Amino acid sequence: MERGYWIRSKPVYSTLVWQQQANAHIVLVEGSAGGLAAMKLFQQMHPEHPTKVLYARNPVVQQDLSIPLSKVVPDALLMFETTEESLVAFEAHLSSACMGLRIYVAGSERFIWQMAQMADKYGIDDSDIIKELVGTLARPIYCVHCKTISYEAHTNIKKCDGCGKQLFVRDHFSRRLGAYMGLMVDAEDPGQIPSIEEIYP
Amino acid sequence: MSTFKVVVSNIQQITPLIKQFSFIREDGASFPPFSGGSHVVVAMNINGRLHRNPYSLMGSPQAPDAYHIAVRLQEHSRGGSAYLHHEVKVGSQLEITYPNNLFALDKRARKHLLVAGGIGITPFMSQIDDLIRTKANYELHYAYRSQDHAAFTSALKEKCAERVHVYVESEGLSIDLKALLSKQPLGTHVYVCGPNAMVVALIETARSLGWPENHIHSEQFLAPPSGEPFKVKLAKSNIEVHVPAEMSMLEAIEAAGVDAPYSCRGGACGRCELEVIRTDGVLVHQDHYLSEADKAAGKKIMPCVSRAKCQSLEINL
Ligand code: FES
Repeated sequence: MERGYWIRSKPVYSTLVWQQQANAHIVLVEGSAGGLAAMKLFQQMHPEHPTKVLYARNPVVQQDLSIPLSKVVPDALLMFETTEESLVAFEAHLSSACMGLRIYVAGSERFIWQMAQMADKYGIDDSDIIKELVGTLARPIYCVHCKTISYEAHTNIKKCDGCGKQLFVRDHFSRRLGAYMGLMVDAEDPGQIPSIEEIYP
Repeated sequence: MSTFKVVVSNIQQITPLIKQFSFIREDGASFPPFSGGSHVVVAMNINGRLHRNPYSLMGSPQAPDAYHIAVRLQEHSRGGSAYLHHEVKVGSQLEITYPNNLFALDKRARKHLLVAGGIGITPFMSQIDDLIRTKANYELHYAYRSQDHAAFTSALKEKCAERVHVYVESEGLSIDLKALLSKQPLGTHVYVCGPNAMVVALIETARSLGWPENHIHSEQFLAPPSGEPFKVKLAKSNIEVHVPAEMSMLEAIEAAGVDAPYSCRGGACGRCELEVIRTDGVLVHQDHYLSEADKAAGKKIMPCVSRAKCQSLEINL
């Protein structure tokens, strides 16, 4: 990667911090790392406004934080096994929410952008969501050839789940698709695949 | 700046203080369509001095047979509104700029909440046409002092039916901003136009309730405030211009025959920004455009409304 070079489309993530000016809060977290981000948030304080926490326990649970979380925010916590269930609950919440709801998300990029896309459906821009990337750097990849999105790209080159082409994982990110662009790596020299390395652990 | 030569085709007294003026083009051609919320700048030659005031366009933006503006007679008019009210007659000729929009509806909004105070209703008169035509979800909250000031209320009730909410202050009604802004569905955008106190209160209430900045829209054209006279040195044109107390810096520069950029002439758009080279005094910023940091840095000035308290000011023009 070239030094000092910055791709504008690449999202920048921060740390979850309560927004003081608010009407209500919703915190969406994924897995143990996300659960920890929520725990850290409640270490800052318990906000005075109505607050909900949607915890998707998700993939391989190393450490299940549902017990400590349920101790910290017993009345605010909703627990789900998968992102999909969490999304359904999030949508239900959005459809009846009022302006002033602050949205906080902590999880993988796949999770963050699934939530951002749902918020977008309700007229909330992703720039107004506080996002923390935790757990994994795995990238969702959009195949520019067959338009399939493959998830869990941990390596610089990944086989497309749709067309099977070897895709080079780029830094260009589409907010609309919630994925990085993937381009066939051996388009010029068929069969010439550079070495595959794990760079998104 | 491109302009139209227009003829006043109709004048209507809407309230004791508000007149509506309709313009047609002098060359008989039709006007271009515009987007709801647009304004034009009307140029008036008053006793040999050129005045230019911005006014919102009203009426249908789609097929404008004529352009319409509503003008409130200002108590401390610097000439513009008094001139339009007292001197301009049907058949009078004026010059107006092409429409420009600093108060456009946000297409991503799931609901539009329009809040107007007094004559601040004017930009909404065209926006409402756009909202009705696109079948958008909207609500209009319109506050004014007394029934005497009920400009356009019946027209609005006819157009917007139950979507318009009227608050007559003399009858003890006012908009409860906090209550209104706390119960808007997610994805709502709010638009406010009216007296300064109302605009400021709305923006602050929305912010404190957690509305993101990009969901809050306001329009406020300031009349150039008067102040102490001072001198401006125009570095590029190499001339010195005297700015009298009751003239804006922009007007004084124009009167000296120098073309300076402008659009809203009300401290809102940023188009007139000039670079300050040096001053022996302080800048008196009065615009809504520059950030606090820019204002403090003193390197930029909006000459349509801002002035300087100094002996001389040098700008890069
Ligand atoms: S002309 Fe718009 S800010 Fe001066």
